[in-house]
Amino acid sequence: MNALALKNIVEQDLLPPRRAVGAYLTEIRFELTRILRNPALAIPMMLVPVGLYLLLAVVVFGEAAAKDPSVGVFFFVGFAVLGVTMPGLFAISASLAMEREMGLMKLKRAQPAPAGSWLVAKIVSGALFSTLAYLPMLVAALFIGKLPLSGMQIATMSATLLVGTIPFCALGLMVGALVKGSAAPGYANLIYLPGCYLSGLFFPLPQSMHWQTSLWPQFHVSQLAMHAAGISKFQFMPATMSAATLLGFTVLFSAIAIWRLARKG
Amino acid sequence: MNPNENRLHALDAVRGFALLLGVAFHAALSFMPGWPPGIWAMVDNSPSQFLSDAGFVAHVFRMSLFFFIAGFFGRMMFHKLGAAGFWANRARRIAVPLVIGWAVLFPLIMWVWSMGLNKVFNGQVPPMPEFPKTPGAFPLTHLWFLYELLILYAGVLVLRALVARIDRAHQLRQLVDSMVEASLRMRIAVFTLGIPLAGALMTLPMWFYWQGIPTPDMSLIPTLPATTGFGTAFIFGWLVNRASTTALPAITRGWFGHLVLGMVATGWLLHTLHATPMAQPGLTNTLFALVFGVAVWGWVLGLTGAALRFLSNYSAARRYLADASYWIYLMHLPVVAAFQVWVGHWPLHWSVKYPFILVASFAVLFLSYHLLVRPTFIGQLLNGRKHPLRKPKPLPAAAQAAAPTVVDARAPVAELRAITKKFGTTTALAGVDIDLKPGELLALLGPNGAGKTTAISLWLGLTEPDSGQVTLLGGSPLDVQQRRGLGVMMQEVEMYKELKVRELIALSSSYYRDPMPLEETLRRAGIAALADKPYGKLSGGQKRQAQFAVAICGRPRVLFLDEPTVGLDVQAREVLWLNVRILLAEGCSIVLTTHYLEEAEALASRVAVLAKGRIIASGSVDEMRALVARRQISCETLLQVEVVKQWPGVIDAQRKGSRLNLVATDAEAVVRRLLAEDPGLRRLEVREAGLNEAFNELTREAA
Repeated sequence: MNALALKNIVEQDLLPPRRAVGAYLTEIRFELTRILRNPALAIPMMLVPVGLYLLLAVVVFGEAAAKDPSVGVFFFVGFAVLGVTMPGLFAISASLAMEREMGLMKLKRAQPAPAGSWLVAKIVSGALFSTLAYLPMLVAALFIGKLPLSGMQIATMSATLLVGTIPFCALGLMVGALVKGSAAPGYANLIYLPGCYLSGLFFPLPQSMHWQTSLWPQFHVSQLAMHAAGISKFQFMPATMSAATLLGFTVLFSAIAIWRLARKG
Repeated sequence: MNPNENRLHALDAVRGFALLLGVAFHAALSFMPGWPPGIWAMVDNSPSQFLSDAGFVAHVFRMSLFFFIAGFFGRMMFHKLGAAGFWANRARRIAVPLVIGWAVLFPLIMWVWSMGLNKVFNGQVPPMPEFPKTPGAFPLTHLWFLYELLILYAGVLVLRALVARIDRAHQLRQLVDSMVEASLRMRIAVFTLGIPLAGALMTLPMWFYWQGIPTPDMSLIPTLPATTGFGTAFIFGWLVNRASTTALPAITRGWFGHLVLGMVATGWLLHTLHATPMAQPGLTNTLFALVFGVAVWGWVLGLTGAALRFLSNYSAARRYLADASYWIYLMHLPVVAAFQVWVGHWPLHWSVKYPFILVASFAVLFLSYHLLVRPTFIGQLLNGRKHPLRKPKPLPAAAQAAAPTVVDARAPVAELRAITKKFGTTTALAGVDIDLKPGELLALLGPNGAGKTTAISLWLGLTEPDSGQVTLLGGSPLDVQQRRGLGVMMQEVEMYKELKVRELIALSSSYYRDPMPLEETLRRAGIAALADKPYGKLSGGQKRQAQFAVAICGRPRVLFLDEPTVGLDVQAREVLWLNVRILLAEGCSIVLTTHYLEEAEALASRVAVLAKGRIIASGSVDEMRALVARRQISCETLLQVEVVKQWPGVIDAQRKGSRLNLVATDAEAVVRRLLAEDPGLRRLEVREAGLNEAFNELTREAA
């Protein structure tokens, strides 16, 4: 009985909305701080895609792009997908796996953190780093004139690419939930790198390999970007199909991650 | 408080949900694409594939869920009221609403239908197929579920009488109880419970996949699929109530898995349904029926489990909804259909019209409930009590008794009741009861693997018990709000090494309603000088201090300290002890596990000793000390062991080579007598037997 009275007191203990928002923002702020203080992770994520793009797309294959403007867009989309998907996958899988090994996930579950605040923080900071990786590429591409698209097309393509990071955040969660500690980036690479090549992100694949491209989320993100940019030459799949598949991937990866975290913590 | 009380709130909520979902389902039926006019009161001009799919999903499980809960409450009521009381109650609350409800509703429904059909066919209503003239044929309308319920009550009570006659020794029933629990735990139930229904569905000569279990609303003679499907649900609910102490926790733990199974199975059904809406005899038919069974039970068990897991606390709003749902479901059909008829030809998209129908219908129905039912004899009849309109919101009986009194200062702030927890084959806790009273420090002692950390994990909501009840600040620790009153320092936790101590504390402080100012937390934990150092650069002891700061930053009412002083130097330990004493003086209650017995002696108001998952001793520090006020005497002497053993004050005597080892309560007297009886006695040693030896001894005794 008295326990109930005591409980009533506890129920008045709700976080006021302003403080609840504050709790989410604090979590996001420190998640970003952590990634920034970890230059070994942050710098490659932000500079490698733009560096590769400039080297390969502009210097090495610049002539092909000059002949056919849609090839220039193809290269840009390929490296942009690389740039926006890496932060979500690698930052999240590495930090979640590390936190689980440190016992920190346990502490967080015990503490009265607002529901899912750690998850929101990870996804938001993943998306933010994706933007940080993407913007220099966009600026460089516009500067050297390899993006013969309208402003509207560039905007929708950019938005599509950034939304396309969500399945990779989910993939990062799944890897981080399945693997412990420092092994996570290794496993993430094991899944991610073959996908980059086998999905035909950087060079067109022979016909005999087309059947397997739809297995890779990278392929669907690039398809959506091609639709948004209106490059029909590189559209192999209806946009709705790609979007549905990405949604399916996201649900699958998240479900596995949630299932595993609920079980093992 | 009865631990079952909470669970009933959850099940009431589930029943209310199933009924309200029915309203939403019927509200969607005017938007079904491809339905020929005449099947429903209205054919809307903006059909929706989405509503068709959503309606199918809801219809898969909603009535089975209802009958499952009805079976559970049915048995409970039968045992509370006895056979006569049970039937009297069911007559009032089921039979009377069926008869009177039908008499009132049927004309209303017919009226709305005729208006709707008039509109659909532009005033040229073709002759409707005549109502079948078979024996027992009767338009029950949506009230069929009350009729079905009465039949199931009768059937199950006959069955029960038979079983009671055969199974006089209760062996069969115990076997069934353990099967129910095992089938839930091992996820067998979800796959097997639907098999009888699947069998019944396969016999149907015409089976439209979309409608699932054909609604038995046309005849007083029970139909095979409905009786099989809903009967299984009802009987299983009845059996779950029999085995509720083990079965409800099993359902609670399995909520997520069951829900996922239900969703996956339903997804497949939808996919198949889109390809062929009508059962073809053969493999698809069989497969569809079997998967349908899995979908039904995945949803039923998953939703029930989720409610038990998340909605087990009393909530005035949920209580109101659950009370209102019965009236609303009884009355909804003419109201919903009238709105459907009204908006049917509006040139608007279904995504506008459907929400409008829902909102408008619920507004009418809730208002009628609030004004006409809740405060009147109708409410008395349907829900068993009247609620006067202008009175404070009713609380459950237990809360009413407690509300006016001041919180009892001695009510425990955290409790473990009859907790059993297994990890695989090892039993971490076996029937443990512990409570923590306000303002006390309870020291949990015991060797490694005794179950101390498991006990704390339960209180922190990190794990759930196999059986028994965990309470934190009067509620479940799975509830974030409940945990807002706790602080914790765990074993083997590392924090973000990139963040500074100040930032770590700020992060944890943000979770609490009224945290201490940052500087005060730092000062209290004695780490003001380390505030701007990254956590990764701290020494082991400094890390523990930072973790202590994180534990106390939210001004917790309950603090859990799991081995807090491991690795601290003497000075840091003193600071921590001092702070623990200050927190106690401020009224905080603390659970402390430790290997350092002097720590327990220095701080604890009460000590509980755990070994092999059981409490083997508990009491005040003084009581523990009395239990262990023994000393060890050791000397080289010629005296015989057997003789010395008989002396008063000697508990135990053993010879080891030339030495005689004694354990004594009154050491001075024993030493005096030793010296008197053996002048040649040499190398005498007397040692205090610390708590350590005492506990080792207790642990040995327990083993």
